[in-house]
Amino acid sequence: MAQVEGWVRVMPDAEVEEGTIYGFEVDGEERILTRVEGHLCALDGICTHEFAELVEGEVEDDVLWCPLHGSGFNVHTGAASNLPATTPLATYDVRVDGGEVYVAQAPREQD
Amino acid sequence: MTPRQRCVILGAGVGGHFAVQALREAGYDGEATLVGAEGVRPYDRPPLSKAFLQGAKTADGLFFKPPEFYRELDVELRLEAPVERVDIESHRLVLSGGGSMPFDTLLIVTGASPIRLRQPGFDLPGVRYLRSLADAEALRADLQRAGRVLVVGAGFIGSEVTASARALGREVTLVDLLEAPMVRAIGDELGRRYAELHRSHGVDLRLGASVVELRGDGHVEEAVLADGESLACDLVVVGVGVRPETSVVAGTPVAVGRGILVDEHGATNVPGVYAAGDVAEWVHPALGRRLLVEHFDNAGMQAASAARAVAGQPESYAPVPSFWSDQYDTTLQYYGYPIPWDAVVLRGDLDGFPVTAFYLAEGRVIAAAMVNRPREHRAARRLIAAGAAVDPDALADPATDLRALARGLPGE
Repeated sequence: MAQVEGWVRVMPDAEVEEGTIYGFEVDGEERILTRVEGHLCALDGICTHEFAELVEGEVEDDVLWCPLHGSGFNVHTGAASNLPATTPLATYDVRVDGGEVYVAQAPREQD
Repeated sequence: MTPRQRCVILGAGVGGHFAVQALREAGYDGEATLVGAEGVRPYDRPPLSKAFLQGAKTADGLFFKPPEFYRELDVELRLEAPVERVDIESHRLVLSGGGSMPFDTLLIVTGASPIRLRQPGFDLPGVRYLRSLADAEALRADLQRAGRVLVVGAGFIGSEVTASARALGREVTLVDLLEAPMVRAIGDELGRRYAELHRSHGVDLRLGASVVELRGDGHVEEAVLADGESLACDLVVVGVGVRPETSVVAGTPVAVGRGILVDEHGATNVPGVYAAGDVAEWVHPALGRRLLVEHFDNAGMQAASAARAVAGQPESYAPVPSFWSDQYDTTLQYYGYPIPWDAVVLRGDLDGFPVTAFYLAEGRVIAAAMVNRPREHRAARRLIAAGAAVDPDALADPATDLRALARGLPGE
């Protein structure tokens, strides 16, 4: 299966469990993938408040919680929903092709 | 045409920042003015005792937003305007430098000020307090050249400053009257572990001790303890707690207890006057008790909530308060209510870290402090939000899945 320009293959769709956070890297940058109510969500892997790896965090409903200081981010939009973070987290388009999850290399435009 | 309403937000800290943002988001279309006394726009205070002191963050990196942000919100910034008092009758702020400023609605987010020690010698040069960016800049400069640092008070600020000073390689003595660091907030069980943590990082920790006098010729040189011992020091940092900054309403009809008394919408007993954050004391609707929370998250969230009430969108403010403290290689994350507990249940390492402490009152979980145990944050918070009655043995048992215990409980 060929890599597609601008997209990164992460893992088989069938292996992405609801509410579990999976870490992966793109050009040395940490990203995360999770599934919330069936939807696949990809975001930056480092908290915008202080350095913390979000793969160590938790997903509850549609909020991604930072393991360090408890900042919350909306898994769909990346919006900072709970202090102390105030800066949104970058989000990435996700698509499934041939049973594999692909995540866009470039972030979505922020609101 | 009626003149535009004017809301003044008094206090340009974290509360002021989130208040003006929430005010506009909630559709307030009157004039909005953010009044501060420090000469700078709102910035992030928690790093002052940590990353900023250690040189890992600059002042520029602390501001929440650039000046344009406030311009785009149509918020006027008056950042060098210390306020002497609120004149309720004329609905004006009386400025310390002369003049006054009218308001229709006032939101007081003046925060708190460090308690100053009055013992002999505490007015000597070389004695520092830490609250503002200016305080932190002065302390950071002093720390660069200090030989021996004495920290008075092992609460959060004193403990964090101690850890920062050790990171900079300074010799530190940390003195506290009580039996363990941060003991009022986190109890003896965790406090003792922090005592050990300081000692393992080379801190000369003196518990059950107090400084009765500072001495020096033109600058602090030594501290005298209650037992008569004398300690050499050329920098003293005092962190013995804060007082809500209520002085602007002294002598007015605005009701004050420990802080300015407000309801669950942030409203005081005087129509049009609101308060939030470290300066405000309110009855938590879910708890039915008065709380005064002196932490970052509450300052931002309660101020935002009060601002929405000003904008005509009142909501019941009933958070599970939270805070964190970073010291050395530990992160303490705390969720819960600052009220008395009658039992502590520990989960995790038997002597040190990582560990979680659950605080129970009458069998219900009222708070949890997690040190380096990030995967328990959300479940613990759920147990607290629900006021869950949990078997202490099950809580302590490492085999118990906290998430399973918390499942089905209300999240918010």
